[in-house]
Amino acid sequence: MTCYRCAACGRHYAYELDVCTYCRVPLEHTPGGTASVLAVTRVDVPSLGHEDVPYWCALVRDESGCQALVKRDVATETGATISLAAVEVEDRSVVGILGTGTMGRGLVELLLSRGHQVVWVGRSDESLASGRQRVADRLARVMDEDELEEVSSRLVTSADPSAFIRCDLVIEAVVEELEPKRDALVRAEAAMRPDAVLATNTSGLPLDELSRSLLRPERFGALHFFNPPSRMRLVETSTCASTSVETAAFLDDFSRSLGKIPIRIAQRPAFVVNRVLMPLINEAVRSLEEGAASAESIDEAIKLGLNHPMGPLALADLIGLDVVLSIMENLVERTGDEAYDPRPLLKTLVAEGKLGRKTGEGFHSYR
Amino acid sequence: MSLGFVVGVGKTRFGPTSRSMVQLAQEAILGALDDARLEPADLDAFIVANFLGGPNDSQLHLNAVVAGLMPGLNLPSWRVEAACASGGVALHQALLALRTYPRILVLGIERMSGVVGTALTRNIGMAGDVLLDQAVGLNFPASYALVAQRHMQEYGTLLTDFEAVSLKNHANARLNPRAHFYHKEVAQADIDGGPTVAAPLRLYDCCPVSDGAAAAVLSAERIDDRSVPVLGSAVASDAISLVQREFHTGFTAAREAARRAYAQAGVAPADVDFAEVHDCFTIAELVAMEDLGLCAPGESGPMVREGMTARDGRLPVNASGGLKAGGHAIGATGIGQVYESVTQIRGEAGERQLDRARVGLTHNVGGVGGTCAVHLFGGDRS
Repeated sequence: MTCYRCAACGRHYAYELDVCTYCRVPLEHTPGGTASVLAVTRVDVPSLGHEDVPYWCALVRDESGCQALVKRDVATETGATISLAAVEVEDRSVVGILGTGTMGRGLVELLLSRGHQVVWVGRSDESLASGRQRVADRLARVMDEDELEEVSSRLVTSADPSAFIRCDLVIEAVVEELEPKRDALVRAEAAMRPDAVLATNTSGLPLDELSRSLLRPERFGALHFFNPPSRMRLVETSTCASTSVETAAFLDDFSRSLGKIPIRIAQRPAFVVNRVLMPLINEAVRSLEEGAASAESIDEAIKLGLNHPMGPLALADLIGLDVVLSIMENLVERTGDEAYDPRPLLKTLVAEGKLGRKTGEGFHSYR
Repeated sequence: MSLGFVVGVGKTRFGPTSRSMVQLAQEAILGALDDARLEPADLDAFIVANFLGGPNDSQLHLNAVVAGLMPGLNLPSWRVEAACASGGVALHQALLALRTYPRILVLGIERMSGVVGTALTRNIGMAGDVLLDQAVGLNFPASYALVAQRHMQEYGTLLTDFEAVSLKNHANARLNPRAHFYHKEVAQADIDGGPTVAAPLRLYDCCPVSDGAAAAVLSAERIDDRSVPVLGSAVASDAISLVQREFHTGFTAAREAARRAYAQAGVAPADVDFAEVHDCFTIAELVAMEDLGLCAPGESGPMVREGMTARDGRLPVNASGGLKAGGHAIGATGIGQVYESVTQIRGEAGERQLDRARVGLTHNVGGVGGTCAVHLFGGDRS
């Protein structure tokens, strides 16, 4: 509820301001209770950020005269009473993140900026300290010192998974390989409350395999975010045979609560985006091997010809060439189709430790 | 006493075009200069009204772009932005500036056809509050839809009243070669078949987005017997979002601007012979009539129903076709209204000439009533 009231003169402001422009006294924030709908419109035209139509926009007013505009995804009638209770930080789910790699960091940044309390578990105190610093550096681009302090106070780091006991949801984001992921999930689950949901950020490993050693597979599913999570709107959600209907719905709802668009994908190798992307990257590598053009030109051609915002080689560098290689090898293994075989040049770069942006060099140089 | 005189007007056709911003600007400027029988060197300053040059075309600093059409003059110039009221606000500024610069060109310009779909909806939504409106999906038609809902609840306004506004303005546009929908015949069946945009507003309740430019040359002194006096000029503003207002069946900014303009002109609503009002949506025309005192609150529906605002009615509204059918080249719209008013008052409107056009009113609204400019023209031309 966006309503700030001056106790001295009774004026209302819709913005979070320090003082009343007239009286210069601090404003009181009226927490939303219930309000009645003055007018409502069903919107059938999409706009950026509001692509899913129809939705309903209601102008509501509470007893004290505070007004709000609310977006609803269900039909709403004039005169109806609706709740405006703002979701306070203490009411938001506490989210655990397991892993301090690129996606782990990105998810911590996203969740903190969306107001969640975050429990971040990694292998060592050093990796967590460095991760905390990098997340703080990212957030400092858009926040002042006070905001940064408030946000940092919502982040707890620990090398011990038992810290997950507080969490309503834990998202696993460790290395994209079956055994390490399975181990990480088992360790996380052992520390979690029985009613909490466990999700994996796998980009397409088989969920039935990942869930095999879990005690509560009905509370397990996939939330596949894209890098960087703070900017990419897609979340591929997926379930295994034992995932409950409630958990499946939660995965979608939670994604939406972060301003993301969930798309449900059946349990297929590499889901959809990577399944389509990997052959594209592999063919770009082949073109580079064959001397069709330079890495820069190949990327430029795809950008211009397919209207992609980024070329496939630059994208591979962003994802991490080791991750790309691992996904491709997994695809070959699971589909038995050699068409997914990673190109020799990709293997060479990974063997040389040239993993893309994170090491400063991949198909392109970032030094 | 006159605030100044409109001595020349020019206007491109409003509607989609492949012509560039500067080509449109030049056509309108030359039209206004020729109409005034003046040369560029006769100008003392110019003002450019524009809304979306930045978001749509990545082009700001438009006064300097327009200066490139008048090489070597190095005139004082600036750009004005007040969403859809940019033109009306620029006109108000020009009148205030006439003491310093006795001849001022006001150019309104907009290119809309280069951006489409959700990006364009977002850009137009910049006329609303980014946090209060855009964040909850209250785009532009949705805002006016809420006003329409409130008006229907409060006064029993009918959907057929909205349709009557649409049909009337489309019929008027068929007589205006510079109108967006000059070539388009719109019948009840078209309206019935229109999809819902934001309930209760349907496609034919919404104005199109148009490319276009309009220009007016203002002078502190009368230059010939075609000079049209400006009798009143007022701008008022209000909090940008509907959520910040208690009154939702009209616009306080419009009422306030109208009150000041009438007082300045010494003119009463009953003296107005015709009005060009900001009908970006059909509901907006009904609200405008009430805000301007052309009828009592709640009486606009019955008035339109009875045909009183048609070209041959007691008080013709939007004889040009309005924004609804004449087109809405946002930054140019307020100046386009001046073009129509001056043309009617001079008796030069050809086929769509009104019988009685002595005092004309223009009403130009930014956003959902966040800014409103009201101007009165004509009166005693001798």
